[in-house]
Amino acid sequence: MVMAEEEESGVSIQLEFPKGRVKKIMALDKDVKRVSSEALFLVSRSTELFLQFLAEKSAQVAIEKKRKTVNLEHIREAVKRHQPTRDFLLDELPPPSQPTKPDRPTQPAGRPKLDPPPRGTRRIDLFFRKPELDDPAQAQPPENPAQAQPPENPDQDQAQSPVPVDES
Amino acid sequence: MADSDNDSGGAHNAGKGSEMSPREQDRFLPIANVSRIMKKALPANAKISKDAKETVQECVSEFISFITGEASDKCQREKRKTINGDDLLWAMTTLGFEDYVEPLKGYLQRFREMEGEKTVAARDKDAPPPTNATNSAYESPSYAAAPGGIMMHQGHVYGSAGFHQVAGGAIKGGPVYPGPGSNAGRPR
Repeated sequence: MVMAEEEESGVSIQLEFPKGRVKKIMALDKDVKRVSSEALFLVSRSTELFLQFLAEKSAQVAIEKKRKTVNLEHIREAVKRHQPTRDFLLDELPPPSQPTKPDRPTQPAGRPKLDPPPRGTRRIDLFFRKPELDDPAQAQPPENPAQAQPPENPDQDQAQSPVPVDES
Repeated sequence: MADSDNDSGGAHNAGKGSEMSPREQDRFLPIANVSRIMKKALPANAKISKDAKETVQECVSEFISFITGEASDKCQREKRKTINGDDLLWAMTTLGFEDYVEPLKGYLQRFREMEGEKTVAARDKDAPPPTNATNSAYESPSYAAAPGGIMMHQGHVYGSAGFHQVAGGAIKGGPVYPGPGSNAGRPR
């Protein structure tokens, strides 16, 4: 219906989306070198068609569920019902457990970042050992077996990890 | 018009600066434009939640990247650097959005007419008229019932690419790929 109206108006090829923005989104793919004006025009128009399609399907879902407001779940359901859209889009939608908080960035920002400590950093438990133990152990490996104190090591090693460490 | 759209989108996004940084705005289409098109497609009394608008904003950006990526891959396989309109029509057919191809061809025809009025001289140089055999061969693989598609070739700036795809011969020394065969096999 919207299509028919646009065609009846005839001469208008005005795009709904700004060309520069569409071009920037296309260029997010580093393999995209150059885009002809026809290609840019087609992407803008196809995006309008896709948006109309998505809105119409979401509205149908909302009506089926007796709702006047289209929300996130209706969009998800509409995406699921169309196989091509589902293929590329379902994984991008916010998870159902957080319907009111969609993640804006593509990377999940909610998780705290566990940065690995820089190399050469001493583990905190080394400070509780005797001063003779000067070997800086790597943070990532659990334990360094090269220890020089036989009477002390078995107890500490066993306390820290169940696997016994063989001494050289 | 484009500037106005940009300003409108920017003004709208400025209202929620805490959510989006200026760089992130460039990854999405302006939410004002997205909302306007959504409302036109919905019943008059329907409303759209803010979360839904933002999610759809991301969805359409994902759609652009999806279609563009497929068209770009095709260009690389054929050793071309510029994505043209035919690449995108092919990509949409391959990815399951063949329903869009026919209306887009209509839009493209009018677009080329407008472009032709602006750059008649440049058009004469860039677009030599293709043969009927080329048109016929091209139409068969992509879309059987598309008589109006003849306009696509006349306005095609990269005529050598078209010839290359259809004839399979290296007009300008390019590599030889079975264009019609591979194209025909995919959508059917």
